Amino acid sequence: MPRWRRWRALGLRSRVTVTFGLGALALSATLAGLTYFTARQFILHERETAILRQAYVNASLARSSLLRSDSTDITQLLDSLDTLPGSLSVLERHGFWYATSFSVGENAIPAGLRKLVLEGTPATQHFVLAGSSQMVVGVPLPAVGGAYFEVFSLAELSRTLQILALALAGAALVTTAAGVVIGRWASSRALRPLAEVSKAAETIAGGNLKTRLVAADDPDLSALADSFNRMADALLERIDREVRFTSDVSHELRSPLTTLANSLGVLEAHNEDLPPRSRRALELITEEIRRFQRMVDDLLEISRVDTGSAELHLDEVDVGELTRRAADAAGARLVPVEVDPAVDGLRLPLDKRRIERVVANLVDNATQYAGGVTRLAVESAPGSVRLVVADHGPGVPLAERERIFERFYRGQAAGSRGTTDGTGLGLSLVTEHVRLHGGRVWVEDGAGGENRFVVELPVRDTVHGSSERSRANGAGSSQFEDDMTSAPRDLPEASTPVEST
Amino acid sequence: MSSRILLVEDDERIRASTRLALEDEGYEVDEAGSGEVGLERFGYQAADVVLIDLMLPGMDGFECCRQLRRSSAVPVIMVTARTDTHDVVAGLEAGADDYVTKPFVAKELSARIRALLRRARSMGEPATLSFGDVEVRPDEGTVIRSGSEIHCTRTEFRLLCELATNPGKVLSREQLLDRVWGYDYFGDGRLVDVHIRRLRTKIESDPGSPRHILTVRGMGYKLAP
Repeated sequence: MPRWRRWRALGLRSRVTVTFGLGALALSATLAGLTYFTARQFILHERETAILRQAYVNASLARSSLLRSDSTDITQLLDSLDTLPGSLSVLERHGFWYATSFSVGENAIPAGLRKLVLEGTPATQHFVLAGSSQMVVGVPLPAVGGAYFEVFSLAELSRTLQILALALAGAALVTTAAGVVIGRWASSRALRPLAEVSKAAETIAGGNLKTRLVAADDPDLSALADSFNRMADALLERIDREVRFTSDVSHELRSPLTTLANSLGVLEAHNEDLPPRSRRALELITEEIRRFQRMVDDLLEISRVDTGSAELHLDEVDVGELTRRAADAAGARLVPVEVDPAVDGLRLPLDKRRIERVVANLVDNATQYAGGVTRLAVESAPGSVRLVVADHGPGVPLAERERIFERFYRGQAAGSRGTTDGTGLGLSLVTEHVRLHGGRVWVEDGAGGENRFVVELPVRDTVHGSSERSRANGAGSSQFEDDMTSAPRDLPEASTPVEST
Repeated sequence: MSSRILLVEDDERIRASTRLALEDEGYEVDEAGSGEVGLERFGYQAADVVLIDLMLPGMDGFECCRQLRRSSAVPVIMVTARTDTHDVVAGLEAGADDYVTKPFVAKELSARIRALLRRARSMGEPATLSFGDVEVRPDEGTVIRSGSEIHCTRTEFRLLCELATNPGKVLSREQLLDRVWGYDYFGDGRLVDVHIRRLRTKIESDPGSPRHILTVRGMGYKLAP
């Protein structure tokens, strides 16, 4: 089992590559082996036939020559024989040995064969002499009382076979390498759709839920693409359903809230007719209904961001003035608003309502958790403008600085305070509003232990755009937008498209 | 005599509570549970302001508003559960003067009603304002184009007067919201846009390329004589 697991751990590509390589090796080695043995067999056979023929021709020449005259110089006779290069002729007659070379004689012929031939049986034998392969043919010549031997060197033949073997081995190696390369290529190619699936899945995980795979022509792959796309559709639908549910709930709650708010208004108008205990109860109801109302509004706002139907209504507004007015409206009338001279009078395309909510929520946050706002400022930063809301502290612990911007997150400060007026959505809405404007928000330490909530909004030099209202995520289109694009003259305010983040 | 308000709303409890609250604010309130009944009531006894919920069974709020507009220039406030651009703009284009979003509070509603009922300032204004072939008579509340009278709602009329008393001067959306609707800084600019568009279809010969009511990009609107 562990070996199998190690093999699996190699990865599909490597496994395919190794398999291809091994297959190519087995195939080419078998082919090379077969080729080698067939060729060797054939060449040897040819050679032996030639050798035998020549040996017998020479033997009969020697015999007839010796029969013709008894006094023939045998050495000369041997020299005159037509022999293959590298072969030696040896002749025995009446116990005397003659040869074409001095270095060889009867010793050059294996004893077994020598004995056999001298006894009158023709024979051949392969043997190795001084490291080189030899073949000897012995032919008895009873008519002249001797025997003829011819020793052939097979060194050249073995060299030829060696070269052939080398060439075949080389070819097998090349084939194996080609197998590996093809295996690598084929597996990469086969896995390319998987790579695409993985890329698409990553895009989806990154938040772009509309990503789909292009259906391939290949019937094997189109099934994969189909099921992947179906999965993505199902996911999107599920998310949509949840978001729609939030939106529907918020909308449905509005009708009873209207009745509550109006009836409450009537009760408050006749406040003095009520006994004190009822009046106190009425106060409690009023506070809670207001909070409930804010919560419904905030939920609706959040769900609009989630469905991508949040719209930016951009107007060119004076950032400093907007901040001041928003602070006033949020009940921070007495707090000074310091506007950096560098950005005083700066006009930016902003959604007034959203920026007002941003300031109001930050002011509320300071009031509830940090002893109230001490200072508001509009500061200049490279390529951006910053709205700063400072409070009395205590500072937000480092670990909570990101988390406090999450929905319904209640930090330590909130926990220690018992009942609050907050909806738990204030700071997360700040994040969403700011993000729709292409900016960001964070909290940092001030010099005196207070918190500085910083909203950074990008400043673009020139403001272009034909759409006064740009949709944050571009989902769907409204009648209004259609009107606007068909009659762009209607637009008094410049605007800029929103970068969805 | 107190102002009369016709409340067209299908939810009985909302109707009852809104009626109580508006009566506390000093209005006389007439109720209708559907668009059809609303139109019938209005034909029977005219109101000073009509409140129409957009989500009505049977005839919806848009249609009710359109039918009402055929015979009357009465100020209309629509009530919507959604602040989405589509509903708001469709309602304004059906002829509404303003809108409130549920849950609305009687105080806010009453402020809007008062703003709509406020009489056009006539002090110090000339008897007639004219540009091109259009003549506006603030005292009589009439607009005449090429000799024939044009029907405008009160809001359209006030918007036109505001532009016509300042010919050639650029008026921002905030200024128009303040002077015509009586709103503060945070009013909804869509009110101005849609009313301007409606005005253009009435007084421009080619509303697609207006010659009198011009858009000044990044600033607002102005009237070219």
